[in-house]
Amino acid sequence: MEKFFAEVFYPMLSPIFRPINAFLSSFFEPYASICAVGMFVLPMIWVGLLLNPRYVNRGQRYKSAWTDLRIWTVLSMIPHVVVYFYFR
Amino acid sequence: MGLQIGLHPIDIIIIVTYMLGSLLLGWYCQKYVGDAQDFFVAGRALPFWAIGFSIVVSDIGAVDFVAVAGAAYKNGVSAANFDWMGSMPAMVFAAFVFVPYFWRSGVFTVPEFLGRRYNAAVQFVNALIWAVVLFVMLAVMQWVTADKLMYTVLGIPPYWALWITALVTGFYTFEGGLTAVVFTDVVQLVVMYVGGLGLLALSLWEVGGWTALHDKILALGPDYQNHFKLLLPHDTTGPFPWTGIVFGLGIVLAIAYMSGNQVIVQRTFGARTEWDAKGGMLFGGFLKSFIPLMVALPGLCAIVIVPHLGAENADRAVPEMIRVLLPAGLRGLMFAALLAALMSSISGTLNSSTTIFVTDLLGQARRVLGKPPLSSKQGLVLGRVYTALFIILSAVLAKPIADREQIYVFIQTVLSLFQGPTLAVLLLGIIWRRATGWGGFAGLVLGVIFCFVLKNTPGLFPSDDPFLFVAWWSFVFSLLVTVVVSYLTPPEPDEKVRGLVWSSVVRDESAQQALEERISQ
Repeated sequence: MEKFFAEVFYPMLSPIFRPINAFLSSFFEPYASICAVGMFVLPMIWVGLLLNPRYVNRGQRYKSAWTDLRIWTVLSMIPHVVVYFYFR
Repeated sequence: MGLQIGLHPIDIIIIVTYMLGSLLLGWYCQKYVGDAQDFFVAGRALPFWAIGFSIVVSDIGAVDFVAVAGAAYKNGVSAANFDWMGSMPAMVFAAFVFVPYFWRSGVFTVPEFLGRRYNAAVQFVNALIWAVVLFVMLAVMQWVTADKLMYTVLGIPPYWALWITALVTGFYTFEGGLTAVVFTDVVQLVVMYVGGLGLLALSLWEVGGWTALHDKILALGPDYQNHFKLLLPHDTTGPFPWTGIVFGLGIVLAIAYMSGNQVIVQRTFGARTEWDAKGGMLFGGFLKSFIPLMVALPGLCAIVIVPHLGAENADRAVPEMIRVLLPAGLRGLMFAALLAALMSSISGTLNSSTTIFVTDLLGQARRVLGKPPLSSKQGLVLGRVYTALFIILSAVLAKPIADREQIYVFIQTVLSLFQGPTLAVLLLGIIWRRATGWGGFAGLVLGVIFCFVLKNTPGLFPSDDPFLFVAWWSFVFSLLVTVVVSYLTPPEPDEKVRGLVWSSVVRDESAQQALEERISQ
């Protein structure tokens, strides 16, 4: 099956993916770490600052800092940021 | 046979006690099951902590203990990306976009939601794909554990191991439905963490600590210089280049898995409040961040402790570590942990595949044939019948299905075939009011076909196993197809999408009312 796909689809698809691969291959550090850490920092900002707090905590039975899901989000994300900095 | 581990009587007592305890707990939960809602979504009474525990332990199977440790042995710490990059960001996204939305819509399954938002064809295709994949996963996880762990390590005939685990998990899932699954998961997570962290502690002790592990592995030569890097260059030939990790895993596979995988989200459907549903997802993400410590780091330690294995036998890293390192008692505990991981995954997958089959496939078939919808009692009876049928069938077919390819890559490849297209359709259905039924259907079907073409056309990507890129590009392709076909077809009437688009659900009180009316229908 691979031979069939290689003959039929490779000529069509490789002109699209070859330049993309060449472009991406020219980037690595620090962009890779910035993107990876961004995957954790952006959701923190989104939940902590941008989303409506009433929406975030809707259904909350007891209102306190311990049950504030914005704080949960930030505290759960920070260790990951540290890990991605450490294993660079 | 010389590599097999002999179990001490105390190990056997620990394992048997654990199995009996799970059976009893599952059996006890049957008293909470009176109708289909109790069986499939635990009567919508689950607290956040139980949801979080259950999500983690359902997601991590015994296969992960073996295969992720094997991948870490071969490729280094980059294998841990699946539980770091591949979890928390996606779980936050799921918690605040998909989960409240699903929870408020009162559905039992993700395909059911797609059916309401698009049409019955999208629901049917999505349900059929999930039913097949869940069944294959069920068979694979059963056989892999029976063969790679129980037989290879303990010398227990694989069919014995397979049928014992199938019958125990089948019994409590049959009796207690999602309630039994979730509360046995809570116990199983504790057992799994104690066993897994115990193995890590002893492995690090044997190696001489973290710094010694680091120095010893890097001293092994140029092949090991990337073993402590989470991100590798785009043109690496291994399966985890950074672009694949960020785009394919972080944006597509992880979000699709955490938001569209019935096994994961079904726990949140059963939450007692919307806050518990969201909090359960976040708590699960937090607990999941410890998983690499138990599954990937022992694989790294194995490079130093059992260097003779070689890359071709990487999947034997954990069994070898158990054989070499653990004394009597702890060995039993470790095997109880592996059984816990296996049983929780089997029961979760079993319950979810049954839910999809009864709700989406059987429900749709009855509608097409002009029969009335199932009553709640009928749903419960059918749920139990199909639970029994699926576990028996998957055990019978386990070996022929599973006895192929490298374990982890096989499952990831199967998942990646439709994860991208499903996420594209789901995401547009939620955030874009203009998405139409035909748009969603075309996006899903053509996306899966495109995915199949990419997967089978060699040489398109630098990686030897480009499943992360296949997921990303099939997602992009499905987005485009859905948008184009949606613009070419008439928009859905306001009445149909009212209360089913995220922005209106979040902001508009009248849309909330529409959603509540739909739930009560």
